[in-house]
Amino acid sequence: MNRILFTFVLLISFSLTSQNNTIAAGEKLTFTASYNMSGLMTDLAQVTMETKEVKTSKATLLRLRCKAQTYSKWDNFFKIYDIYESYVSPKNLTPYLHKREINEGGYYKKMQYNFDKSSNKVKSVKTKRAKNGTFWNENKNLTIGSKTNDIVTTIYYIRNLDIHKAAIGSTDTFTILFDNEETQMKLTLLGKETITTKIGKKECYKLSVSLNKDVLSGENNNLLWLTADANKIPVYAKFKVPVGNGELKIQSATGLKH
Amino acid sequence: MRVLVTTLSIILAIVGLALSILPFGLIALIPIIAAFIFGLLALKLNHKEGKKTGFIKVIFAIIIFSLGFAIYNALKPNEIIADEETIEQQKIDDEETLEELEDLDIED
Repeated sequence: MNRILFTFVLLISFSLTSQNNTIAAGEKLTFTASYNMSGLMTDLAQVTMETKEVKTSKATLLRLRCKAQTYSKWDNFFKIYDIYESYVSPKNLTPYLHKREINEGGYYKKMQYNFDKSSNKVKSVKTKRAKNGTFWNENKNLTIGSKTNDIVTTIYYIRNLDIHKAAIGSTDTFTILFDNEETQMKLTLLGKETITTKIGKKECYKLSVSLNKDVLSGENNNLLWLTADANKIPVYAKFKVPVGNGELKIQSATGLKH
Repeated sequence: MRVLVTTLSIILAIVGLALSILPFGLIALIPIIAAFIFGLLALKLNHKEGKKTGFIKVIFAIIIFSLGFAIYNALKPNEIIADEETIEQQKIDDEETLEELEDLDIED
């Protein structure tokens, strides 16, 4: 009985909330991405997470945009300009359109997903640049699970979870559509921790993130700290990839809902 | 021994100089400090053997220049350069996206 009750509480506590109570239009979070080079953290890029209201003739949507851009001192060596964005329902964060455009040291790739959540279908368009400078497209029609979302929507979904109801050690799994493949992401609540950030001393939820792909290494090597308040801002993240490790630190947070 | 220590010092000083010019942050301090230690050792050995120390002084000059450059680069605030072309392209992309959204079947 206790086991059933525990499983029930676990599922309830970490299930996705249907209503968006955390994310509002006009929010802007700015981070510094650093990479560990010979034991010393070196600032590489600025990462921003911005939300904006977008109106069409039929509906009002929320644009969730994550942008990564190398600091100017790196631009002559290895320039990165990546944009990940999703157009979602402001009420429940259901994605309609996702775009991912990566420009990394001359390498270019663009992915676009048009979601049809009613039939769980996705129209995918991949654009790449050939060596001669011409662009080519690859179109695919994909069938996804009912809970599968793109990466940007998932990040914002996590902020909308009722983490305060979750027990320490509880986990939840999210399915992300990435590079036309469904990838499982496991999130574990490790506990609460108070950390000092650029936006002040914050009590945070410490979460462990793991993927079923080799993008991130190890079980508890990829950690995320979300503020333990109504905004649940990601203030700090530590990650380990096969070629090293790095961190993401918040610099500023404006336009928060709460 | 003197030749080996002097050679190591100059190699490390050059590596430090290269890293201080490149945007690798304070990593440049590792070869710079090592070059300084070997430089001091080389200076001591030159004095002991009564040799000229002019070349060692050049190494120290490189070390001081590299150190200054590494500290200047580390203290310089991080900047993002948003070029006009990228901003304009972003505007065009946003307009295209809006047109694509108009074609989608969205439940409000």
